[in-house]
Amino acid sequence: MTPAAQTAMTPAVPIRQPIDPVYRQIRDLVYKVSGMYKQEEKLYLLADGCSRRMKNVAARTPRDYWDHLTAHPSREGELRQLLNEITIGETYLFRSPPQLDALRKVILPEIVADKAKQITKRLRIWSAGCSTGEESYTLAMNMMEESDGLLKDWTVEILATDLNDRSVESAKAGIYGDYALRSVTDYFKGKYFSPADEKKLQVRPEVKKLITFSRLNLQDDSRMLFMKGMDLIFCCNVLIYFDGPSKTKVVNHFFSNLNFGGYFFLGTSESLVKLNDKFHLVHFPGTIAYWKPSLSSGKP
Amino acid sequence: MIESMSTTIRERVQRIEAMPAIPAVFLPLLNILGDPAKDVALDEVVRLISYDNSIAAQCMRVASSPLFGLTHAPTSIKSAVISLGLRRVETILLTCCLGQAFPAKKWALDPVVFWRHSMGCALVCRKFSEKLHAADAETAYMAGLLHDIGFMVNCLAFSEEFQLAMKRAVQEELPLDAAELATMGFTHCDTGRALAEKWDLSKDLVEVIAHHHGVEKSQSALPLVALVHLSDLLCRMSGLGYGYYERQKVDFISDPAWAVLLKAQPELGDVDLVRFTFELEEAVLEIHELVSAVLGPVPARV
Repeated sequence: MTPAAQTAMTPAVPIRQPIDPVYRQIRDLVYKVSGMYKQEEKLYLLADGCSRRMKNVAARTPRDYWDHLTAHPSREGELRQLLNEITIGETYLFRSPPQLDALRKVILPEIVADKAKQITKRLRIWSAGCSTGEESYTLAMNMMEESDGLLKDWTVEILATDLNDRSVESAKAGIYGDYALRSVTDYFKGKYFSPADEKKLQVRPEVKKLITFSRLNLQDDSRMLFMKGMDLIFCCNVLIYFDGPSKTKVVNHFFSNLNFGGYFFLGTSESLVKLNDKFHLVHFPGTIAYWKPSLSSGKP
Repeated sequence: MIESMSTTIRERVQRIEAMPAIPAVFLPLLNILGDPAKDVALDEVVRLISYDNSIAAQCMRVASSPLFGLTHAPTSIKSAVISLGLRRVETILLTCCLGQAFPAKKWALDPVVFWRHSMGCALVCRKFSEKLHAADAETAYMAGLLHDIGFMVNCLAFSEEFQLAMKRAVQEELPLDAAELATMGFTHCDTGRALAEKWDLSKDLVEVIAHHHGVEKSQSALPLVALVHLSDLLCRMSGLGYGYYERQKVDFISDPAWAVLLKAQPELGDVDLVRFTFELEEAVLEIHELVSAVLGPVPARV
């Protein structure tokens, strides 16, 4: 067979083998420990991540790797490595349209109505664990879209923090390539970006003006105590790396950092799994969030 | 609802004879479903299914969906009944019959979207009910499947009024029952109740159909009504709504239906609702396939 004929017979979409049931066990373990759930259609991503890790720990079969994750002395470290593998590529702009819809169509009107009687019309958003800034800029652009409507005469402040200095510097630069921009529409590209070079775009200064980037360790209690007065907190794929007690502590901080009526968003596949019973789990079309009930709801 | 409106609804429902596509086995099947499983003869159900070739073929396709618990297509109706159990096959049959029940040309609501919602709700009700170890998961399935039959009545008997309500709901991104009430003065709960009474459905099912948007008004079968109410909301929040964005925030734990169900089924307190939501989202594609199996080629929307 000629190489050309071989190519022609290669299916455009690779045919996936049935998933080994052990991966579902690993999926359940990952969910139990980290709160991150890999849905069935993304199970192959988990399987790919496991395959890469299996080579590193010399596990020959998924069952061997399961044993490594559950019984090996280095199991906790290995689970972190696996989480790293399965969250690669999760950072890009406009990653979760249902979150943005909920924010603009349901939450903002509610917060604006709640604060209607306040003299200072100020909205404070915190992107906790902002990595290289994709989420923070997405939020800023969406808030700017509301500046002539719902948020007319409002001041919007976005605080974006990360533990990693290099991530913070990269976020400040706001330069992105095709991968990070793959979900950004031409409308947003034209309005909020300038060409950085032939292949990359840079976020415009008027967007950057809304955001303050800084380094912050979420486990630094003294710093966390000063992050008060937030209306919205976003913390995507960060808590999955924390152990149980640390996670509880950080979530409790988030709760007290939020204003009454404020919302806490995790990544799209994450769950708090009963870490804080004061938050109300709320559903919006296609997404969930955690709500700190407003004083007027009678359930603070 | 004022009495004259209620009379109008009843009269128009009585006049609905435009159900030419409803399979002949449908009403006998509804009767059988009202009986305790132990009193139902297996052969009678097999006979009913086999009565209509297209229904029989559909039942076999639906029965082979992973959502119904089989990984391989059953070889005969009888083997499907033996593998899945009588009750489950009955509900599959009901699903297939209802899928054929109404002509596409009358629909203001896209029938594919409607069936995805109804079937999704049926499956969520069953799953919830299994998780809670509630009495009869197949009754829960049936309640979920039938809860919105009022939309069928609206499409057939109140076509113009319902078109307006639907248009308003889509434009203003309102929950459909709120748009119905604002536009027509009544909802699919009222029209569904009239049809359920005409069909002589069980009292519990009538309660579900009439009160799934207002659990507190229900006189009986409260846990079942609450279960359907919560499942309906969960479907609408998980990509199985009515085909448009609903500006809605759902706080399940504060919903009165949650308290009702929790009282009847304390196991509800242990359900991980987030994971349940993730699992529902991953079942959405399978539900789409299932609806295609039931409806066959997608009817044209008018």
